[in-house]
This record gives sequence, C-alpha cells and structure tokens, in this order.
Amino acid sequence: MSPTEPTPATARRIGVYVCHCGGNISDYVDVQAVVDAVKDEPGVVVAKHTVFACSDAGQQEMEADIEANDLDGLVVASCSPKLHVVTFRGVAKRSGMNPYEYNQANIREQVSWAHTDDPGGATRKAIGVVRGVIGRTRYSDPLEPLEIQTKQKALVIGGGISGLRSAIGLADVGLGVFLVEREQALGGWVGRFGPLFPHERDGHALIDSLVAEVRKRPGITVFTGAEVVSKAGTFGNYQVAIRIGGDELQTIPIEVGSIIVATGFDEYRPAEGEFGAGMEGVVTLTEFKELIDSAAGKGLRYHDRPVRSLAYVYCVGSRQPGGNEYCSRFCCAATAHASIRVAELDPGVRQYHLYRDIRTYGTFELMYTQARKDGAVYVKYPDDAPPTVSREASGGLVVNVRDLLSGDEELEIPVDLIVLVTGMVPRKNEDLVGILKLPIGRDGFFNEIHPKLRPVETMVDGVLIAGACQGPKTSAESVAMGLAAVTQSASVLKKGVAELDPLVATVDPDKCTWCGKCENACPYGAIERLSLNGREIAAISEAGCKGCGGCVPICPENAIDLRGYTDAQITAMIDGLLEEAIA
Amino acid sequence: MTHYDALVVGSGIAGMESALKLGDMGYKVLLVEKEASVGGRMILLSKVFPTLDCASCISTPKMAASIHHPNVTAMTYAEVDGIERLEGGRFKAKVRQKARFVDEASCTGCQLCEQACTVAVPDQFNYDLVQRRAAYIAFPQAVPKKAVIDRQGSSPCTFACPAGIEAHGYVSLVRSGEYEKAHRLVLDATPLVGTLGRACYAPCEGECTRGSLEGTLPIRRIKRFISDEHNASDNDLGIEVSPANGRKVAIVGSGPTGLTAAWQLARLGYAVKIFEAAPEPGGFLRLAIPSYRLPVETVERDIQNVRDLGVEIAVNTPVRDLPALKADGYDAVLVATGTPRSSQLGVPGEDRLGVIGATEFLRQVKLGEALDFNGKRVVVVGGGNVAMDAARVSRRLGAAAVTVAYRRTRAEMPAHHVEADDAEKEGVGFEFLVAPAEVTGDAKGAVNGLRCTSMRLGSPDASGRRRPEPISGSVHVIPADVVISAIGLAGDPTIFGGALETGRNATIAAHAGTLETGISGVFAAGDAVNGATDITRAVGEGRRAAHMIDRWINGLPLEGFDLRLPVVDKAAVLVRQNGYMPRPATSGGTTLEAAPTDFREVEAALTEEEARGAAVRCVDCGVCSGCNECVKACPVDGCIDLHARDKVEEVEVGAVVVATGYKLFTADAKPEYGFGRYKNVITGTQMDRLLAPTRPYNTVLRPGDGKVPERIAYVLCTGSRDETVGNPLCSRFCCMYSIKQNQLVMGALPLAEVTVHYMDIRAPGKRYDEFYESAKSMGATYVKGRVAKITEKEDGNLILRYEDIEHGGALVEAEYDMVVLAVGVQPNRDAELLFGADGLGDGLAFNEFHYVDEPDEDINPGQTSIPGVFVAGTAAGAKDIADSIVHAGAAVAQVAAHLEAVKTKVPA
Repeated sequence: MSPTEPTPATARRIGVYVCHCGGNISDYVDVQAVVDAVKDEPGVVVAKHTVFACSDAGQQEMEADIEANDLDGLVVASCSPKLHVVTFRGVAKRSGMNPYEYNQANIREQVSWAHTDDPGGATRKAIGVVRGVIGRTRYSDPLEPLEIQTKQKALVIGGGISGLRSAIGLADVGLGVFLVEREQALGGWVGRFGPLFPHERDGHALIDSLVAEVRKRPGITVFTGAEVVSKAGTFGNYQVAIRIGGDELQTIPIEVGSIIVATGFDEYRPAEGEFGAGMEGVVTLTEFKELIDSAAGKGLRYHDRPVRSLAYVYCVGSRQPGGNEYCSRFCCAATAHASIRVAELDPGVRQYHLYRDIRTYGTFELMYTQARKDGAVYVKYPDDAPPTVSREASGGLVVNVRDLLSGDEELEIPVDLIVLVTGMVPRKNEDLVGILKLPIGRDGFFNEIHPKLRPVETMVDGVLIAGACQGPKTSAESVAMGLAAVTQSASVLKKGVAELDPLVATVDPDKCTWCGKCENACPYGAIERLSLNGREIAAISEAGCKGCGGCVPICPENAIDLRGYTDAQITAMIDGLLEEAIA
Repeated sequence: MTHYDALVVGSGIAGMESALKLGDMGYKVLLVEKEASVGGRMILLSKVFPTLDCASCISTPKMAASIHHPNVTAMTYAEVDGIERLEGGRFKAKVRQKARFVDEASCTGCQLCEQACTVAVPDQFNYDLVQRRAAYIAFPQAVPKKAVIDRQGSSPCTFACPAGIEAHGYVSLVRSGEYEKAHRLVLDATPLVGTLGRACYAPCEGECTRGSLEGTLPIRRIKRFISDEHNASDNDLGIEVSPANGRKVAIVGSGPTGLTAAWQLARLGYAVKIFEAAPEPGGFLRLAIPSYRLPVETVERDIQNVRDLGVEIAVNTPVRDLPALKADGYDAVLVATGTPRSSQLGVPGEDRLGVIGATEFLRQVKLGEALDFNGKRVVVVGGGNVAMDAARVSRRLGAAAVTVAYRRTRAEMPAHHVEADDAEKEGVGFEFLVAPAEVTGDAKGAVNGLRCTSMRLGSPDASGRRRPEPISGSVHVIPADVVISAIGLAGDPTIFGGALETGRNATIAAHAGTLETGISGVFAAGDAVNGATDITRAVGEGRRAAHMIDRWINGLPLEGFDLRLPVVDKAAVLVRQNGYMPRPATSGGTTLEAAPTDFREVEAALTEEEARGAAVRCVDCGVCSGCNECVKACPVDGCIDLHARDKVEEVEVGAVVVATGYKLFTADAKPEYGFGRYKNVITGTQMDRLLAPTRPYNTVLRPGDGKVPERIAYVLCTGSRDETVGNPLCSRFCCMYSIKQNQLVMGALPLAEVTVHYMDIRAPGKRYDEFYESAKSMGATYVKGRVAKITEKEDGNLILRYEDIEHGGALVEAEYDMVVLAVGVQPNRDAELLFGADGLGDGLAFNEFHYVDEPDEDINPGQTSIPGVFVAGTAAGAKDIADSIVHAGAAVAQVAAHLEAVKTKVPA
C-alpha cells in the first residue's frame, strides 16, 4: 500500500475536546484558554471542554457532535493515550468515523501533573501539545485494523501448580494446550511439600490430582525435561520450538496463539554468614518446611537431635534496602503455619518469631492468632537493627535481638534451631527472557502491563504471565492468576480472529534500494528482504511490526514511513508545538 | 423468558471484569447492578495504590465498556430477587428493574431535575460527607449518565391524606422557601387550601414519623401558612388549565366534594355548573363549621378559586330531576349532596320548642340568624365533632351552661380529641354514659330538661367500640332550655324522586371505585354516598369523581385513580435517619378562653420563621417528596413519571457470578473512636473522597469547621483484627489505602504532618512495600500500637490515647486536627438472599465469616458450593483491587469451563 495523499488541511472537519479530568487537568491548565486558542485552527470545526471526556456522558456528546457535524477527525486532549486511546477510538467507530482518525493529546501526565507549580506555563504547553495533535490529525488517514486468524492453542511454560492449573483451564474452555516443563517431573515447588496453608491441603496430593486431570485431557500435550528454544511469528500465530532432552536432543515445532509463562520463583539463598547462614542449625524456610513434613510421628528433629526451641528470623532476603527491597508476601503466613504445625508436633517447643511486621493478610490472620494462642513468642525488631546469630562457646546457637514490644529490651535467646524466613527471588531464566522478550521489573520479576487493567498481559502481545514469576505469591494466588491467564487467552483466541493496530511501518518499493539497515534496526525481526520485479527491497511483516519506528530514520532513501506517524504528521506536530513557543 | 449464558450480580470491578471477559469470549452476559451506575466502589476512590493511577481513569473505560459491549446487557438500578436452580443445571433468576421514575431512554443527563429537587439526603457516593438530591445522577462519571429519583415509597403523611394532597411535597417546598409553588401543589388536588389549612383533622400529622421523635410537624398549619402567603400576595393561581373541550358537567351540591370535582373538571377543560340548594355555596364548610375554626371569608376565598376557573355556581337551586339535567346537555352529572340533616333523637318530647338539630342550629348561626342563648342551659346530645361544634357555638352565644351528653365514655367519643379538649377548655361540661329517654317540657311546651338513662359499657359492637347498655331504673334529668341533637348526620336520597338507588342509612348507592350510579352518566360521591365523614375524604371523593367522569366521557376504563406507591416503613426511616438532630417542636398556637364570646379564629397562623423551622424538621420519609418540581423542570415531556413501578423480569442463565462485593465497617460500632459524634473523625473512604478529582470540598479540610488540617492521624485496623467487634480477620487493603492517602495528603497539604497508628503495616504485594517506604521517606510517621480511645476537645481537635509500644510502652496522649479511621471490610450479606434453599439442594454456602464459601479455593478459586455458581472478588473475602481483578479472571475461566462442559454434555 502506498501512502495516500494527505487530504488538504483546510478540508478537514476536526472535533477537539479538552478534558478537565475532574480537576486533574483543569486545576492547573486553563481548559477554556486551550479551547479558545485552538478553536480557529485550520480544520477545527468543534472545540469544547468537558469534565470527563471518558465518561459515558462525555462520549455521548462527542458521538452526537461527530454525527451532527460530519467530523472526519477527532482530538481528545486528556490523559496518556495508554489509558484511553481504545476508549476514544470506540467513540469514533460508533459514530461512523474511522477510528484511526482519532488522536490523543496527553495534557495530563505530560502537562498538568508535570507543571503543578506553573499553571500559566502548563496552559501554554497544553495549547502547543493540542495544536500539534490537531496538526497530526489534519494529515491522518483512514486505516483498517489488521485482522489475523488465531490458533486455538496455547503454550504453557512451567509445570508448577500455576502452569498445571492453567493447562487444565485452557483445555476446559476448548483450547489445545502444550505444557512444557524443564524438569523431568511436573509439580514445581508445591509438589515438594506436605500440608499447605491455609487449608492443610497436601502439596504432593494436590499436584498428583492436577497431573491426573492433565492426563485425562487429550487436548493437553505435556513435554517434560523440555525447554522453549525459539519463538517466531506474531500474536495469534506463534511458532515455537521445544527441545526435549533425553538420550537424543529433539526439537519439536508447535504453533500456538498465546503463551502463558508460569516459570515460578527461586528461594532466596542467604549468603554465607547472613543471619548465621551456613552454620549448623540454621536453615531456610523451605528446608524447615521439609523438616516439619518429615517429622510426622517422630517429633521435630534436626540432625537427629530433638528441637526444643527455635527462632524464626523474618524478612531474610526481603524488604532489604539495597538488596531485595520487595516484601515476599507469602512468608509471614507460611511461618505462622509452620509454627502451628510445630506446636502440633510438640507443644513444648519454644518458638520465637523475630519479625518486623506480621503480614498475615486476610484470613491468614487466623493462623497468626492461632500461633500466638499456641504459645509462640513474637518479638518485633527495629528495621535498622536486625537480630544477630552466633554460636556460643558451649556450641549452642544464640540469637540477639532488640524487642520493641517490651520497651526495646535487648534479648539473648539460646535456641536449638534458627529458621531464616527466606523469601522468593526471581528465577534465573535468561534464555527464555531473551526468546520471549519478556519485560522484567525493577524487582527482577516479570512485569505485567498494568496491575489492574491488564494484570496477566505483558508488552508482548499474546505472551501472558502467571504465578510467582510475576512476583511473590501463595500457591492459591498463583492458581488464580493462572486461571486469569486462561481467561485472557480464551477471550482473544476463542473468537478465532484478532485485530491488530495497523500503525505499522510501510516501505515505498520505488524508493527502497535494500541496504539492509532497517532489517538490522528492527528489534522484532519483522523486516525481510524481498525480490520484487527483479529488485531487492525490504518487506515488512504487518503482524510482526510493532510500530516502534526504529527503521524509519535509519533508511537512507527515506523509503519507510510509519502509518499514523507519517513524516507529514510528525512535521505538522512539530510545527504546532513550536507555534506557541515562538509566539 | 430471555436466555443468557451468564448472570453477573454486581458491577464493581470484579463484576465488570467478569462480564467483559465473558463477553469477549463470546458468551451472552446479563450484568445486574443495584445502584444507578455501574462501577462499584473503585470509581469513588481518588487514586489507587501502588501506581497512583487515577481511579476514574482506570474505571471509566471498563464502565463504558460494560454498557457498550455487544455481548453484555447491563441493567443498572436493578436487583436480583432470587435465583432458582433448574433441572439440567441452568438457573432461573428474577431480576427486578427498580423504578427509576425517569425514562432511561429519554433522559439526557442534563441534571435539571437534580437542580429543581427540593429534597437533600446524605450522598452515599460521597460516603455521607455531603448531600445529594432525591433526583440525582449517581456521580459525575456515572455510566449510564442518567438520572434516577430516589423514591422509596409514599411518605406516611402523603399516604395518609384521603384528599390525595402531596403533604410531604408542600412541606418540602416550604422548606425551600417556595411558598407559591407549595400553594400550587395543593391546588393540584383541591381549591380548598385555606379551608383545609384550618379545618382539616390532619391525618397526615398522625402518621408523621417525626411524631416519635420530638413531635409531629404541624403539616396542616404549614398549609394554612401557604394559603395565607398566597392570599396576601396578588399572585395568580398559576395552575395549568386545559383549553375548553366543549363538554359540560353538572354537579349537584357545592360542598368539598362538589367544589373539588368542579375544580378538577374545569382544569381539564370541562364547562362545569354547580347546583346548590342552599342560599350560600360551600356545604358544611360554609353552613356548619363554626367561624372560630373556619372563617367564612376563608371558605369564600377558596370557592372563588373555583369560580376563577369559570365554574358557575347556582345557589337556591335544588335539583330534583337528574335525567332532566342530562337532557339539558350535560354530558355527566355528579351528585354530591352530602349529609345536611341531623338524625332525630327518636325520644318522646322531641317536638318541643327548644329542641333543634345540630346542623340546622349551626347553619342558622353561620347564616347570621340572631339566636339568643344568654343565660340558657344547653344540652348537646352526641359525641362527634358536630356535637363539639354545637356545644362551643352555644358557649359563644352566651349559654350559661352547656352539657354534652354522650352514651359512652370520653374514650369512645368519635370527636377529634383536640375538639373535645378545646370544648372542655371553653367551659363545656360532659355527662358520659347517659342516653336520652325523653325531652321534658313545661306547660307551654318549652323544653325544661332531658331525662336520661344511665348506661354501662357492654361487649364490643361491630365497630369495635363497647356497646352501651341501659342500667335499668337509673334515670335522671339534666335541666335544659335547649336540646341540640347531634347524634348523627344523614342525607336525603329521596329528593331525586326515587331516580337513584339508595344504600344503608339514607345514602345514595354508587360503586365504591367508579362512583357510577344506576343511571348512566350520573355519578355520586362524598358523604351522600358514604355517610358523614370529614373534609379530606370529601375532597378525595371529589377528585375521584372528576377522574372517573373524565374517563367515562372519554370512553376510557374507569380505573387508575389511586397511584400512590406503598407507604415506607417508618421504622426503617428512623434507622436511616438516626443522624438527624432533634429540633424543637412547634408550639400549639391555639388561644382558648373559658367563656368565649365571639367567633374569632382560635388558632394563630404560623409565622414564616415558624413554618420554615417546622418544615426543616421533615425527615423525608419517602426520600422523594412528590413536590413535582422535577417533572416541571424536565425538558423531555413524559420522561419523569412519579408513579412508575418496579418491573420484574425472569431470565434463564447457564451460570451465575456472584460479585456482590463487600460492605464497609460502620465506624460508629467502635464508639471509643467517636465517629458520628466527633465531626473531625472521618473514615478512610471519606478521606478518599476528599482527595478524589470529584472531591466534595475541592480540597482536604476537616468537616467540623472547614479548617485545613495540619496534624492528621490515621487509626489502622478500625474494625479489623478486632474480636471486640466480632471481626478477627485482616481487611487486606486498609494499610495500603492509608499509605496511599498519606502520600496524597502530603502532596495536597505540604505542611501537614501525617501520623499512622498501626498494628502491623501490611504491604504484601508487588511494589507495595516499596510504596510504604516511599511514604516514610516523604515524611509520614508510623507508630506501632492500637489506639485505645479518642476524645474531642472543645476546639474540635482530637486527643488519641495509645500505648507507645516502641518507646517503652508508656501511655501517651497526642493531639491531632483530624483523625482518619482506616475502616475495613465486612461481608455484604445481601448475597445470602440470592439463593434460597431449593428442591435441588441447599442454597449457596457461606463461610463462618459470612463470605461466599469457596470450598476448593486452592485449586478452584471462584467455585462455590453450587455447580454453575461462581464468586468473583470481595464477595468471597477481603481483597484489594488487583487481587479482585485476578480473582474475577479466575472465576471467568471457571464459568467458561462450566458452560463448555454443559454444552458438550447437552447438545443444543
């Protein structure tokens, strides 16, 4: 498709709406002044301000105006387009306008919130931004979304509780499933444990039942001892290669519409000497959990000696300034549960919990209450003065701690065992991250697009995340997130077709001389060399292009343009912005 | 019956997420929301943690999508009244669209009704910080942005009015200072505004909810005030009158029934003529009720209202031949001849000089005939209002002694108790348990006494009153010069020469609902049909007659007169309104003399101050007052219908998602924190409103005196982790929303100090602890320890007492400008009403904390005890927004799996 000739600017019929966003914008930007400044811009037919453009009433007003004035361009000056571009494209579509004739001017994140100290300046900047977007709209073209057929299949990476439950969920809504697990056995962390909080369900049994459910479903293909080695294609049509180990490495190609990443977490491993780590008698929470699980009938023993007293040191590897700054969420409840189980094994064991805040949220609070009723002693230590663990000359372990609950008293507690309440850390998965281009947050866990709007989606369309790979959580929460990812997959794949934004790069075949620079610049592998009428030119996969624009300025022939952000549009935006600054 | 794949109950964030995702998958969804807008609680927040996104910005796209999604049908202001399981695993649900009283399709969201509304009630969408109108749009970002009128039923006063006057409506208009509009509202029912303002027995006041507080509103006297105000002005009546329709109606009788019917018919465009046998129009109003209660000028002024509409009143014109009227060109005739005659005593000596019927007596007085009672002894026989009138008039005519002789006791007297009390205060004596046996006389035939038989009360009669029985041989004589018979009133159906059928006790027979008589086109109403009642009933009958005659003439079915909504439950009103301050009751205003000598009005008018002061005591029982201002303000004809009714629809669905959310802890259940008593103690949700873009005060200030707070304390775990209020659970989000508010408050009020009193700071989610750390680094102080008690200082500041655990455990008192109680979550037990136990098993199971039970939460989040019924979000237990959304996502996967499984099993 060759770029269409822009409609002459003067012939456009553009509606402009400046949003108050309650007071988010109008408290700092004089919205009336913005309207006044742009209402006579070329092509502008309607210019108004509105309290909440995104509200139903605001949308209805725009729809009515579009129909009444036969508008062919729409500008809403409001928040970041990340929030509402879909909303307002919907307005355009419902009222018969091409949705890609809509453009959003961000005068909130980029103006009002950034210049709360300078309302006059904010207003001037808003005028420039709106003018620029009007300019861009003047040169906008009607575009049609790219429609792609989607595969009715999904890939689940990780055979822990979240991945297993996801696989079952996908199969139950009628999607084909490939489940890939790196280890030889399914089950992940949960499969290693006995009774789990808060319902005392046995981890092995839970996993066994899920694995049995997986086996029952012919739509699920399980690969264990397997890894994803490559991914190509685009959302709805990914080609993934899975390498299976064994005697002979074998690579199996599969095609899927979406990918659920449920690769879980690693336990924090304290450094040698960190709260006594490495000493005899100092164990991590996981090790302690296994100790309890194996204690049934014989009492709590460590290295064949009965444990008569123990101390839990909380927040090891969590909430550490300069280290892992996040809270690992599950450990307070897990430790309360461990404490209750120790009391059940032997009510005589003295248990000291050295904590900062007990975060037994929701119903987990009941376990905290139970643990205290069972006689556990809770000692709150200052954030900046953690307990120290040492070994006395006699060979016994002792923990020194300041107790804020008893008037900042210095306590010296001799114990038989010290449990380091270790949190979760992101699992090392560099290869997978590279293959899937998974976004990683500051905490090292995989990042969702938005914790509320799109909690299981990543910036890579069709690649979803579930469970503790996204951040620390309990097994039940991981299951819930796995099912939410099932829902997200199904809501896109069940229809069989998906629409992609057509805001992609296009090549002018007459100008292109195939130098290959664009191919190297494309981070998505969406540009290939193509022979056309005996010439070599660049061809862009519309489904693969993300519209990042990286190829556009690199092209020495100026043969590439980006739909929705054409050179003409960008130039018009710059002109619009500068007009205010110069004036 | 409409079929859907899934019914989602509740449109909070979890409900919307469920509906939208199911819709995206291609399932047909019915989303039912009980409030007027979708969005639940999240849309009411300021920003959300830990990203500090604006809550509106995140909610509104989902809200708009919920009503625009092609696969989602959203019903707002609707309730699910019950869900039944059907054989085969499907469900039948009763969905009740609550009457919005505003046509959703026609409403443009212009808010003119809201501006016109005269009732303000606490705004639940601002957590009661400010008030909203009874006609309202939920909040600025409401979806759909359509008004509803909060009309919970008839207010008891309005419901009690037999005349059909919008009592609550005119009180509400007076409260707003709209006296002329109030006058017009009464005129909508009857022209007799001044009359009813004086002589009505005010059944409305007997029902006034405020009566069980410090005393009923003086609703009748407020009406008199309205009338006096109008009469003192030179305002037109200002009512709408239809153009003449060319039809004629004759009305026989000009009492309150006839006048009201004439008024209503004239307004509809009929040419109306009233035929009155007496020399003056007005019936009992003009010819019986004494002037000290109802001045003649008042009645004449009210009758002038009728004449102003062109109604002709022919006096001294008795009608005898009804068919002749029809022959004269009248399309319809109304007989409203009342009960002008007094019943006879039926004892010997009744024909003696000095025996008179009460109505004849009162009529003579009102027509100005000179009666000299000076020094005379008067006995009035009877115990009704007419007897009281006769007795009190006799006092005014100079009677030396007036005795009311009644055959039962004071308690059984049919007279209004105020009338009896007033009569007594004016020197009227009473003899109870006496029945007249003979009027004794002297040689010249003049009365000299009433011989009476003593009575006792026996068993109750049909009316429930104990029947008086004579005590044999106990006879005595009350000396008397005049005996007035006031034992009852009767009509005279014979005047029409047998043209009309008669009923019991000399009444005219007419159909109780349609008022039709045996003659086509002739209607009969009022006391002539019912026997003696009172003015309000007579007015009501007149309105009914006009309605029926209009419909009859237009060939419409004779129905649709009484459109009152069911009366509201007063107990529920009091519970709702328990925040209302007691206010001084209005004093009586009646001046009585022991020996009255003239006919001046005994009751004073209310001053404007008194009238408005009384009106503001109204607790708006039905919420909407029925003042009709919204109807007039609405630019779309027919959009507002105050008589709309709920509509129940049955739907069949394949699965149900319970997303009914949570309730907030009611902070006054911790009395030691003073919420509800101390103005500057607010809840966390209220603080969120103060910080929201649509904030009610446009800034953060303390509600008590509008001061910008400098020292703000947060009290965490209010109502959570607290066995003393029966909630051992942690509410999961209060720490985080408090931390969020800490940051926002420090941003909004850079000088404010923020201190948080906590038990444990629970920031266990992605980026939550980091968010806590940044609040600390911004300067918020976090103090460990539960607050024991809050006390209020005179200047509105608050003293918090707590044990300073981290500094040696000393008991500390700290002073703040404002305290925010971080209230937590309570189960929304409304969910328990969705499923009754049915034939297919038990109802929905709830856990011990009354949240929807998820029996297999570990592996099957969202599943409930009933296959096909799922739970999303906080209906299953406290969750923050992010967790609710993920939980809803999980529930949707379960719903889809269920629907697919059913589909596979049962081929379509």
